Amino acid sequence: MGDNETVICRCEEITLKEIKETIERYQCSAREVKLRTRAGMGPCGGRTCRCMIDRLVEQLGGPSISNEISLSYRPPVRPVSFGVLGGDVK
Amino acid sequence: MNSMRVDNHPVFGSLEKRKNITIYFDDQPYAAYEGDTIASALLASGVRTLRCHEDKGTPRGIYCNIGHCFECRVRVHGQNTVRACLTPVENKMRIESGILATASFKGGKL
Amino acid sequence: MIDLVIIGAGPAGLGAAISAAENGLEVYILDEFVKPGGRLLGQLHEEPDGKWVNGIAEAEKLYKRAIQLGVNIRCGVSVYDLMKLDQGWCVYTTDNVMECKCLLLATGASETPIPIPGWTLPGVMSIGAAQVMGNVHRVKPGKKGIIIGVNVLSAAIARELQLCGVHIESILLPQPNLLSGDAANPEKMMESLLRLSHLAPSALIRFGGKWVSPKLGARLYPKNGFKMWDIPIQLRKSALEILGEKQVEGVRVAEITANGEVVSGTEKVVSVDFVCIAGGLAPLSELAAVAGCSFRFVPELGGHVPLHNEYMQTNLTGLYVAGNITGVESAKVARAQGTAAGLSIARELNALADHADEKIEAAIMEVMETRKNALIQFQPGIEEARKKLYSEFYETSEKASMI
Repeated sequence: MGDNETVICRCEEITLKEIKETIERYQCSAREVKLRTRAGMGPCGGRTCRCMIDRLVEQLGGPSISNEISLSYRPPVRPVSFGVLGGDVK
Repeated sequence: MNSMRVDNHPVFGSLEKRKNITIYFDDQPYAAYEGDTIASALLASGVRTLRCHEDKGTPRGIYCNIGHCFECRVRVHGQNTVRACLTPVENKMRIESGILATASFKGGKL
Repeated sequence: MIDLVIIGAGPAGLGAAISAAENGLEVYILDEFVKPGGRLLGQLHEEPDGKWVNGIAEAEKLYKRAIQLGVNIRCGVSVYDLMKLDQGWCVYTTDNVMECKCLLLATGASETPIPIPGWTLPGVMSIGAAQVMGNVHRVKPGKKGIIIGVNVLSAAIARELQLCGVHIESILLPQPNLLSGDAANPEKMMESLLRLSHLAPSALIRFGGKWVSPKLGARLYPKNGFKMWDIPIQLRKSALEILGEKQVEGVRVAEITANGEVVSGTEKVVSVDFVCIAGGLAPLSELAAVAGCSFRFVPELGGHVPLHNEYMQTNLTGLYVAGNITGVESAKVARAQGTAAGLSIARELNALADHADEKIEAAIMEVMETRKNALIQFQPGIEEARKKLYSEFYETSEKASMI
């Protein structure tokens, strides 16, 4: 298996190659990488891969890591059922 | 007991006796102790694969073991996205490894 | 309305609960894990005087004290959202919705992965996962394993796994690529290992100990590494790929130069049944983000941390932080921060009767003392980075109050 086939986002199985190509082609931010590839959009909410995406974007000439969190966190930060959201106990 | 359990430990000492129970993973019965999580009970029985990736079908097991990564998500009594690493076992618990998506939705990416 | 809800029952959360409850506050602690203790649960190491520090016993002590003081501890509960109220905070959990006057986030850290070809195979896990499996659940992560990533955490946990009866084949570096950064560089790793030398003096001093420069150290480094507690630490070998059909069967490794380049013709496959990835820790700040905190990126503290001051206050009224969410440090520092946070919260709620300021100042001094005496320094420059962060906190709050 080549280095490029390494999975970065485990939830959505997005590879290093896909992320690299996206950054190189669009010279884009981590957020745009997420929207274009779905990396960081799985059940873990990007908890596992967000730091790698930030780093790849920075390494490949995109925006550097700043005080701002690049892939914003949105509630719910854990996948919850509509039942729980509606006030049911689990 | 079996060789995957750390029954005796040079600093922590020996494990106190715990109640034996049975859990079912994809309809197969496995022995477990009360106090185990689904993940620890199955690993003690040598089961590493907890699910397959819904889209690509690749096998997956525990990764972070503390609820962050959701890699160990299984179905328990019909409920989806239950983290095996955080869920204590119960006697006769029925656990399933989940299902594959029938079709891939990833066509026109990039 | 509850006085204080704490998210995270680790050393920081329990420490805060104790100091808050000692001053009469009604306290609830929530935690996702099956038992309280957080990262303390996995810890086990031998102090220089030969005494074992047993994290499970430490956690038990804190837990018992908290229960004695009437603290309500709920495990197996996840928090998925937070909302600011006119007076206090609303906490959305998988059990119910809670309202409280003050809220403390003590959610700790998450592990940073090092992606390697084959790392999604069952049997590959984070180093912390193996630690919890062995020490807390008392199940071996495998019979024979390789640890990828040489750092403070991986060396300490390798030793713990060994005590569980697990054979650790070796600890080695990840393959250099876009993401591995310093973790694949023998010189940089030598530097971080030298910060560990007091934990295993014989091995490192024999090798050169404190007087060897990391550069020289990495170059002189023996091809087969040296042994710490009989576990080979191989700074001149790297893991190229994890192999296996349905689960881990082996790791393809190769020798590397002092700069981290793979030496061709040196590849071989080592057969193992599990692999641990040790990429370090980063503050887990997602709840601070949904609450609306300001952030700072501070590499010395492990990444993005909510802007806060030495009283553990964030820039949002009634919202406090303590422990690794404020920066990656030892459990003892986390506990001391928790104590300081609990007292600050008691003061905000007018529960700290006599000598309030003195008590809080003493608690803050205790945090600094504990930091100074910490056996393990995760990163250099923590104290300086914190001072800078605190002064930025006051600068921004001054600006905000002028608007």
